[in-house]
Amino acid sequence: MAEIRLSGVSKRWGSFIGVDKFDLTIPDREFLVLLGPSGCGKTTTMRMIAGLEDPTEGEILIDGKVVNDLEPKDRDVAMVFQSYALYPNMNVYENIRFPLRVRGSDPATHKEKVMRASAMVELDDFLHRKPAELSGGQRQRVALARAIVREPNVFLMDEPLSNLDAKLRVSTRAQIKNLSHELAVTTIYVTHDQIEAMTLADRVVVMEKGVVQQVGSPTEIYDRPANTFVASFIGNPAMNLMKGEVAGGTFRAPHTEIAGLSIGDGPVTLGFRAEDAEVAGEGGQITAPIYTLELLGDATMVSVRIGGALVSAKADKSFRAEIGDMVSIRIPAQICHLFDAETGARIGD
Amino acid sequence: MASKAQRTPTGLKIAANLFVVVWLILAAFPFLWTFWGSFKVELDFFSIADWTNALTGKNTEATYGRPFTGAGYHGAWVQEEFWRAVINTFIVCFFVVLTSLTIGTLGGYALSRSGFRYTFWLLIIALIFRAMPPITLVAGYLLPFFEWNLWGILPTTIIVLVAINQPFTLWMLHSFFQNIPKELDESAKVDGCTQFQAFRHVIVPVMWPGVITTGLFSFLLAYNDFAVTSMLLSESNRTMVPEIAAFLGTTYTEGNVMFAVAAVVSATAPLFVLVMFFQRQIVSGLTAGAVKG
Repeated sequence: MAEIRLSGVSKRWGSFIGVDKFDLTIPDREFLVLLGPSGCGKTTTMRMIAGLEDPTEGEILIDGKVVNDLEPKDRDVAMVFQSYALYPNMNVYENIRFPLRVRGSDPATHKEKVMRASAMVELDDFLHRKPAELSGGQRQRVALARAIVREPNVFLMDEPLSNLDAKLRVSTRAQIKNLSHELAVTTIYVTHDQIEAMTLADRVVVMEKGVVQQVGSPTEIYDRPANTFVASFIGNPAMNLMKGEVAGGTFRAPHTEIAGLSIGDGPVTLGFRAEDAEVAGEGGQITAPIYTLELLGDATMVSVRIGGALVSAKADKSFRAEIGDMVSIRIPAQICHLFDAETGARIGD
Repeated sequence: MASKAQRTPTGLKIAANLFVVVWLILAAFPFLWTFWGSFKVELDFFSIADWTNALTGKNTEATYGRPFTGAGYHGAWVQEEFWRAVINTFIVCFFVVLTSLTIGTLGGYALSRSGFRYTFWLLIIALIFRAMPPITLVAGYLLPFFEWNLWGILPTTIIVLVAINQPFTLWMLHSFFQNIPKELDESAKVDGCTQFQAFRHVIVPVMWPGVITTGLFSFLLAYNDFAVTSMLLSESNRTMVPEIAAFLGTTYTEGNVMFAVAAVVSATAPLFVLVMFFQRQIVSGLTAGAVKG
């Protein structure tokens, strides 16, 4: 049971701004993902919630109580570190038991609790091993078990999957999702991987340079990016962005002409997702020579160059052409996102 | 089977082994020579007439009827009460190691976890003091110690040795602590530790080889020190090294030099035992951080 509220939280080191005026309420049991490139302040935000970093300004409230001056141990949070931070001198059992031991909970209950936590992450067979004798994925699960053993109010995870290989990442991701559903504890999860954010989150916070860019559900963020940064960060491939001019409801850029836009005249940045567009023989809004062709298995990615930018569209997997062939891409006005040419902010709905 | 590329030519193998053997003899020779000689009389070990007397023990046999004698040891330990110096040495070493390790671990930990810039300058200043010859410090200490009536006793020497030792232990432990990821402290703190509990339950157990290695080095420094102990200790409070020097200083009585030789062997023996006992920790301590744990 814990609602977390951040009000005007900032972190500065001298003149460097780590996090700038972060305002957010995280309701109880929400799975919130902080997403952004490295150095965007997402880890700093989490560390301030954990109590490992003091905010320069603002208040952090857990369950309505200001925790700014509380030590990490008094905040009832559990954290999974990117490097796992397992205690190398203790075996798996002792590692998981450690939070119970230092908090002085009844020793008679330890064994049962440790067994339950280790069963949840399928570690039962490894309890007597030292961390050095475990694989990366197993170490990761020990860290998870150590975090859940004490049933904390808040769960913090700092890029827990980034040290795993791609295959293991997918299965551990599923495990974390299932675990968070079972535990129903407020969780804050930091990642730079937008796929993790999309798959795990109830709500995503996209950050850049210490500033929150957008807060919303994964679908909202995907379908209605608030600005060009979010648009270019979310999705694989990222949203195509083209700079051009609108005159009389028609967007014009080299090789490009998109009519039917309900927007005033002037320079804009127009974006669309590769999977929304359609590759046609002719009659499309873009007609240009193919710059590159990528076979993805389930589809073929066709890219052309518009101005300086690379613009891609997803074609059928049977689509075949040569580099340099002329191609036509259909981009109806309703799949277009428009952004201010100067600020990058979203225009219209 | 080793592949052809890995196989060493037999000639090279013999040469390498030969080199090791020769080197071993060269390195161990002074110890072996002293050890052998300590069971002889002065006229043999320091024979001017024929150096082989030191090996054969011609005069020893003439005096005691056997080519070996424990007279040197008897003289040093019983007659001159060398055991007092041994006890003094161990008191000094024990307290020097204890104090400098306590301050060193706490200080090294604090410095390694501190984000302030002055930590760097503190360490540099420590290094400068470490680089100073101890004798230059002793000269400054002597007068106040006489005036305050602190000269000649063990506690004063212990404090001075700690002061000389501390920069080194601080440096060494600081670098050990720096190899321990900060996440370990942080994780312990989130798990429910205070800063000190994190240090005690999580960091120190990981640090153990480093603490042992540093402790051993500071033990050796106190054990082997001559400059400080010879200047600051009264005759009755002498530790082993100045005591041995004192034996050597009384060469006009025949046989006293042999007390020194016997005492040297007595003083060296515990070091062998110590290093053998802790060698595993020392090796892992010296290479700690070389590979990611």
